[in-house]
Amino acid sequence: MAFVNLKNKLIQVKIVYYGPGRSGKTTNLEYIYRKFHQRIKSEMVTVKTHGDRTLFFDFLPFDIGVINGYQIKIQLYTVPGQVKYDATRRLVLRGADGIVFVADAMAVRRKMNIQSLQNLQENLASYKKNLRTTPWVLQYNKMDLRDNGIPMLPIEMLEQDLNQEFRRPYFPASALFGTNVAATLKKIILLTIASIRKELL
Amino acid sequence: MAKTPKFDTLDSELVNRLDDLFREDNLPVEAEKPKKSRNPPIAELKKIVLSIDWEITPQALESFLDQVRLLKGVYQADKVVIMFLQILGSLGQYIKSSRSKVHPSTFTLLNSVFARLEKIVSTPNMPEPAKRKLLQAEMAAYQQLREKISQRQAAASATPAPARAVPVEPAASASTAVTAQMLARAITELKEFIRSEMKALRQQMKIGAPR
Repeated sequence: MAFVNLKNKLIQVKIVYYGPGRSGKTTNLEYIYRKFHQRIKSEMVTVKTHGDRTLFFDFLPFDIGVINGYQIKIQLYTVPGQVKYDATRRLVLRGADGIVFVADAMAVRRKMNIQSLQNLQENLASYKKNLRTTPWVLQYNKMDLRDNGIPMLPIEMLEQDLNQEFRRPYFPASALFGTNVAATLKKIILLTIASIRKELL
Repeated sequence: MAKTPKFDTLDSELVNRLDDLFREDNLPVEAEKPKKSRNPPIAELKKIVLSIDWEITPQALESFLDQVRLLKGVYQADKVVIMFLQILGSLGQYIKSSRSKVHPSTFTLLNSVFARLEKIVSTPNMPEPAKRKLLQAEMAAYQQLREKISQRQAAASATPAPARAVPVEPAASASTAVTAQMLARAITELKEFIRSEMKALRQQMKIGAPR
């Protein structure tokens, strides 16, 4: 449940970008930071070790201002995608109000996407949550690679593998070039705030 | 459930705000990538603690409280670290609400609590009793500070207003009265806040204590 302070009229929302290693979670946050930095007026913190892999997490907090008398603060997190960092992933996932599942649309990553989604379900279950009740959206990333002749998974296949059971909103995207990055973010914020509002009623 | 007009307003307000924030037109992608830190998150907190020690700015205090919140998530499995962070959070809130009227011992305690927290975090093999000993010392110092603040507040409220030899402007007098009221309210809030924090800390000590 989001941090809600009724006295100070503050709602703090935690959104976690989840997905297999190298799927582009950090690239999503970097694009948001680099593109909208002037408007969101925030600093992104990235804790990295061992080359360029996220071993800890990225964190991008920002305010969206006062809506209906409530100050709404958003915190974006990414998790390390590599399988062996499950403990960190579970830790970052704790208290998540909304999730963006970033899948890698390259054909060779099909199995990893499916495994990562299963891992997400297991980790949510450890907090007595599930993908049926948690607000989440999918992003099928790296669509730009199609133009480079790299074998890609068709949207229908990605939908069948990852979204057939849930029918959640999905966005074909290129985080590197910013395609549908903002659309994904806007959608998850809307869904998450709608869900928090429902819980508060 | 049918939507009420109030919620429709909220929805449209939110959509408009998000559209404004994340509108892509004419906004270049900044060339520079975000700052990357190769330090553990505690190092970020250290930078902020040092900057608060240098100058108390609203921005530094906000960053401090944000970082404490973030670290609470990171170290949630470690009860001792969480308690250290709760003390830091309480001190941060107190500094934020009192600013220039902060008790001077607060900064000494802030630095000392952080130094011990840093020691614990950077010594992964530290035995649990040693960690608890450090925590107890800081909790005692926190309690002492709390008493000092209460004494100072009691002294301030007990002292009668001195007779003024020089007449003051009415406007200035009115503004002093408002400030005193505000101060009294702030003191009451602070007392309640510290009381609830101490209660929470004591409860967590009981929960975390070896059986």
